[in-house]
Amino acid sequence: MTLCGISLAIGAFVALVGFSRSFEGEWMRLYSSSGTDIAVVEKNFLNSQINESLYGKLLAVPVVEQAAPMIFNLMDLTPEVNAIAFGWLDDTYEFNSLTFESGGRFHNNKPEVILGSLLAKNLNKKVGDTLTLQGSNFTVVGIFHGGTALEAGAVILPLDQMQLLTSMQGKVSGYHVRLRPAPPGESPDLYLKRSQAAIEAALPGLNAQLASDRASNNQFVDLAHAVAWGTSAIALAMGILGIANTMAMSVFERTREIGILRAIGWKAGRVMLLIEVEAAVLGIAGGILGIGVGWGALQLLSYVPKTNVLVHTSLTPAHLLQSLVISLLSGLLAGAYPAWRGSHLSPVEALRHD
Amino acid sequence: MTEKHAAPQLEVRNLRKSYDDGRIEALRGVDLSIHAGEYIAISGASGSGKSTLLQLLGGLDVPTSGQVLFEGQPLNKIGLDDYRATQLGFIFQAFHLIPTLKAIENVQVPMLATGADASTRATRAEALLVEMGLQHRLNQFPNELSAGERQRVAIARALANNPSVLLADEPTGNLDSVNSAHVMDLLRGIQKDRGMTLVIVTHENDIAHAAPRHIRIRDGKIES
Repeated sequence: MTLCGISLAIGAFVALVGFSRSFEGEWMRLYSSSGTDIAVVEKNFLNSQINESLYGKLLAVPVVEQAAPMIFNLMDLTPEVNAIAFGWLDDTYEFNSLTFESGGRFHNNKPEVILGSLLAKNLNKKVGDTLTLQGSNFTVVGIFHGGTALEAGAVILPLDQMQLLTSMQGKVSGYHVRLRPAPPGESPDLYLKRSQAAIEAALPGLNAQLASDRASNNQFVDLAHAVAWGTSAIALAMGILGIANTMAMSVFERTREIGILRAIGWKAGRVMLLIEVEAAVLGIAGGILGIGVGWGALQLLSYVPKTNVLVHTSLTPAHLLQSLVISLLSGLLAGAYPAWRGSHLSPVEALRHD
Repeated sequence: MTEKHAAPQLEVRNLRKSYDDGRIEALRGVDLSIHAGEYIAISGASGSGKSTLLQLLGGLDVPTSGQVLFEGQPLNKIGLDDYRATQLGFIFQAFHLIPTLKAIENVQVPMLATGADASTRATRAEALLVEMGLQHRLNQFPNELSAGERQRVAIARALANNPSVLLADEPTGNLDSVNSAHVMDLLRGIQKDRGMTLVIVTHENDIAHAAPRHIRIRDGKIES
């Protein structure tokens, strides 16, 4: 039972944190596959809203080669299917990262959408079908294969149509920016920093974030990490209590055995070590089982339409190592009090224990 | 051999031990000197304080007042764990073997406290069990051994760290007469051959009278 408890706790950690990290990784790939160097967004708000009229000012910044105004939001397409919805211009450079399986680009000012292949499969839609978004009908004009799960599960429509759906006429969520090549002799890092400063100077009050920072620090990812870590922490606390209870029972049941060890000269520290090693082994064993449970849960999530559009499920070696370290520390923490108690038993009292 | 003129190996001075906030006085001012190589039997009725005296001699408990000295040093200065690990071997009435360990592993347990390496532990444990006549029972668990065999494993365990003092609390209390005689022969042989100090607590008169020195305890005091 204890092993089940800690393995479920570690399983929850593996699944939830793995899910949130995978989500972050997908954002990273989203930016890198489109060639975006910098994202220009509002400084503080989750639902960033910027005037579309700033587009010209942004393009006028000397370091900017291309800028793509965009809106993004999460949308419930059906009760079972979520999707990230993007609003793009029909000539944005971001199309370069997409490969069309059928059909092609949409056109500005027309009720047209393109769907990621995974989303099209989940919705059972093909080119020529109609998709209803918030009561408005859109024609599916293209099915694309994206480089990331976020793209594969996305719906993309003309920016103007997205502005109508989200009541953001004249506004965008942000701009994705491609920079001109760095001048010879200037390091990429320095060039990126200089470009950030130039854009922020041209557009006061806005934040020019490096694409890599935006991927790991955007509010969606932060929220996913916070939920994952918070839920995992609660599960781990319960798992730790389970091990602590088992070790306390074990110390109680083996009181006489501990008395024997103390009587034949084992120091308190050695008895403590013995109990802590047992707790650590329990933690590690639970961790190994939990990794299996978590991996299974992630595989399950990759088949559920509500979640498969958000992430590619994969476990990194770093995440596995972190899970094992947390299992070990959980075991040690859970065993600490029983170990202290066991090691401080009086040998005489312990030997009398029935 | 006992050298009465040498300094005592173990000495207790005005030893008192009380329980239950002083309401029960197990020992009421005991003075005793034990020399290296002596064989002493301590007898007395149940509740007389003989086991308490043995526990205090063995550093399993601490006195309420008075002192226990080993080779002139108070036990609390030597360190009770080190004292028990290196100088003492304990033999209990209930054997107190660890049920989940085989006989040979039980004998190795005290050597873990002194840092002996695995090969030394295994070799010495086997040699001790062979000496106890248990060469065919090395890999048996305690519940697979007879009471007499268990006590012989316990004696081997008590000898594991080559102690200078053996303390035995009713070592034949759970044995039949044949095994009891066998165990006492073994203990006397060990004491004689190795020159160890042997202190036995017993309520059996024939065992007590067989010892060269016999101490009676009554109501927490040495009677004779």
